Amino acid sequence: MLGVNAAAKNPEEQRVVVTGMGTVNAIAGDPREFAAALRRGDCGIGPITLFDTAAFRTHNGAQIRNFAPRSVIPEEISLKRMSRSDGMALVAALQALSQAGLYPVPEGLKDEMGVIIGGGAGGLLEAETVFQGYLKTEGRKARFSRLASVSCASTANHLVNAFGLWGPKASIMTACSSGATAVGLGRDLIRGGAGRAMIVGGTEPLCRMTFASFNALKAVDPDYCRPFSGNRGGLTLGEAAGVLVLESLAHARQRGATILGEVLGYGVTCDSHHMTAPDVGASGAIRSMQAALADAGLAPEEVDYINAHGTATPPNDLMETRAIKAVFGRQAGQIPVSSTKSMHGHTLGAAGALEAVVSLIAITEGFIPPTIHRETQDPECDLDYVTQGARPTAPDIVLSNSFAFGGNNTTVIFGRCRQEVRRG
Amino acid sequence: MDRRVVVTGIGMVTPLGIGKEAFGAALLRAETAVREIEGFPTGNLPSHLGAELRAFEPREFISLKNLRKMDRLSAMVTASARMALDEAKIRIDEGNRDRIGIVMGTAFGNSELKVNSARTLFTEGPGMVNPIHMPNTVMNAPAGHASIELGFRGVNTTINHLAVSAETAIAYGAMEIRRGAADVILAGGADILSPFFYETLTRFKALSPTDAGPEGARPFDIARNGPVMGEGSGIVCLEASDLALERGAAPYAEIIGWGLGSSPSPPTGWPDGPRGFVLALERAMRMAGVSPQEIDCIQAEGNGGCRLDGLEAAAYQQVFGAAGARPLITSLKGATGEIFASGGIRAAALALSLREGIVPPTAGLSAPLCSLPFVIGKEVRSPLQLGLLSGISFGGTYACLVMKRP
Repeated sequence: MLGVNAAAKNPEEQRVVVTGMGTVNAIAGDPREFAAALRRGDCGIGPITLFDTAAFRTHNGAQIRNFAPRSVIPEEISLKRMSRSDGMALVAALQALSQAGLYPVPEGLKDEMGVIIGGGAGGLLEAETVFQGYLKTEGRKARFSRLASVSCASTANHLVNAFGLWGPKASIMTACSSGATAVGLGRDLIRGGAGRAMIVGGTEPLCRMTFASFNALKAVDPDYCRPFSGNRGGLTLGEAAGVLVLESLAHARQRGATILGEVLGYGVTCDSHHMTAPDVGASGAIRSMQAALADAGLAPEEVDYINAHGTATPPNDLMETRAIKAVFGRQAGQIPVSSTKSMHGHTLGAAGALEAVVSLIAITEGFIPPTIHRETQDPECDLDYVTQGARPTAPDIVLSNSFAFGGNNTTVIFGRCRQEVRRG
Repeated sequence: MDRRVVVTGIGMVTPLGIGKEAFGAALLRAETAVREIEGFPTGNLPSHLGAELRAFEPREFISLKNLRKMDRLSAMVTASARMALDEAKIRIDEGNRDRIGIVMGTAFGNSELKVNSARTLFTEGPGMVNPIHMPNTVMNAPAGHASIELGFRGVNTTINHLAVSAETAIAYGAMEIRRGAADVILAGGADILSPFFYETLTRFKALSPTDAGPEGARPFDIARNGPVMGEGSGIVCLEASDLALERGAAPYAEIIGWGLGSSPSPPTGWPDGPRGFVLALERAMRMAGVSPQEIDCIQAEGNGGCRLDGLEAAAYQQVFGAAGARPLITSLKGATGEIFASGGIRAAALALSLREGIVPPTAGLSAPLCSLPFVIGKEVRSPLQLGLLSGISFGGTYACLVMKRP
């Protein structure tokens, strides 16, 4: 098998590293701000102003305030027909490429660079307005052209156009694990020789349909989410984009790039249990963490920090705590676990990618971000949730969980990039 | 671990037939499922044709308990997944369920349910939105329902990338088996016809008749004037070849290469030239270690779209024609309509071709747009070793697969 196994000869072609990252979210407009906000324990939750929430049961969300993509995106990139979600991802991708020293993308790399984006609502926020117009005029009038960006695929399409790329392109939609799976697929495409560098990530806008759905499911805390807290009452929906630039270690070394971290492993499983309720037996979550550890060739005790899914719904946090105990055994209580959703909300399709950025910030900035809003104890949630502010210990290996409706579970493990060859 | 990947079962729920026998026979007779749409009124719209799923009885495949919670798309996918597993003779039990997974593709998910939920939200208010419907409007619902009904607990992912969703899903599934993350992956795609979506496509002038001439699906024909929309689901059961061999399965084909790619393009339109598709074809053949001359047949993307078919034919002329290669080219979009995440159905059709040594005719094609060896009117019977599945989407995304007869 030419082209695939050829790459296997050099172990550094098989190691995939992160050389750039970008984000916009409710507490930060870029990774530098994000690191500071995570360290301070900022809360980005407040009244949603993006649309009218008067008729809804709850009104809060983790909204990106004053988002103005045109002010940060170079003139040569057109924003025509982009949704809010597309624009967020574009801003984050530009930050990531710039940090990687790959903007503009070198001509020689364009054929071998691709885009994998995990999505959620895509252009639904804009589509809702079109559909409201359609209903108001009983189908006679609607600005159908505005539906051009409704698909999640729109984001990856726009990124390819903006950067002039010809490599692999795909969009993943597995609800709340999309962004994490995108990171894993991107890694495997590089390993398989399908691309030398990949832009991977996730993006998710707040919108009425998502807000209505989670409210109908009574999964939303009317105030703010309180992960792992005894009085937790549900999640807070948020919006964000998180983007990484991945490339093989060999490629990064060759061009002298600064390496932020390495994608050490990932695992994907499903519950086969229920569409919206997590499996109390936690089998899917246990197996996704175990699969990621096995893929990384790591023992559980080597993990220094767990970036939890931690949505703050009563069943999730209990299930995840049980899963961590099952995987890490007696060490479970010694490993810091935090849910940064307490700060930036649950960003659904973007969550895994946004929390990949969190994981890499923990590694590069040398601290463990806290879980805020843990107000009361829960006797069944008794791990070290880092509730007293950020902790100044520098993790080398971070495990990040993303679990989704539909029973999808993805775990990604990031590590400080070591000089020696880890495997092969 | 770099394991080889074979296809050991196929499952299809298509307007041309449920299951491979009905589907294959109809394809051989050059039948078409394209008719006037009955499911919803097309009154004032410029298009009236579609390939609707008519004879599907989900109860034959799905337990009543789970079926009650499923939407139509999930039922179609779950039924085709069961067919593929049954044909592969894989029984799911405690011992293998964590090593069996699914990677589905869908371009638009259950657009009908989504629109109905939006209608409820905007006309009756958020208090009336049904919490049961919500999870079914999400793209990963069919894969989730299939896992619950069939009981497998391994890899579970959904690719949502327009018209290459299913081809990409199959490539992803094969990657997961190769790296050892799973032993069996049900991979494919599905999409449905829905009224608002159909109307939207006509407003984008994306359906026949986009030009002069009567409405109809005429892939690669000089008189083509746009695709006709269809609906359906197709799944191939991918399995690690060592395990398939061990249990004495008789694979249809081995997936020996794939090529993904993109090209800068208008987000809902077509690129200026075929370069992106040519690159994806070359990547797939390079990975497979085969030359254009060795490809015996192509299951094409062509759907009667003016730009798409021209672009695809131009790429074939460049990659195959210029090398003196003459692979037989067929498209089933004249028979099933454009199903968007059609790659599962087309991969199944290609697997059947390789096994039977038959390339079915292209329904709707009588006067080809160029001199490539399109299969017209009647099937071609010939031993086939290597087949190519082409995936091309508007917005400039490509996913191609090379399949080899074992």
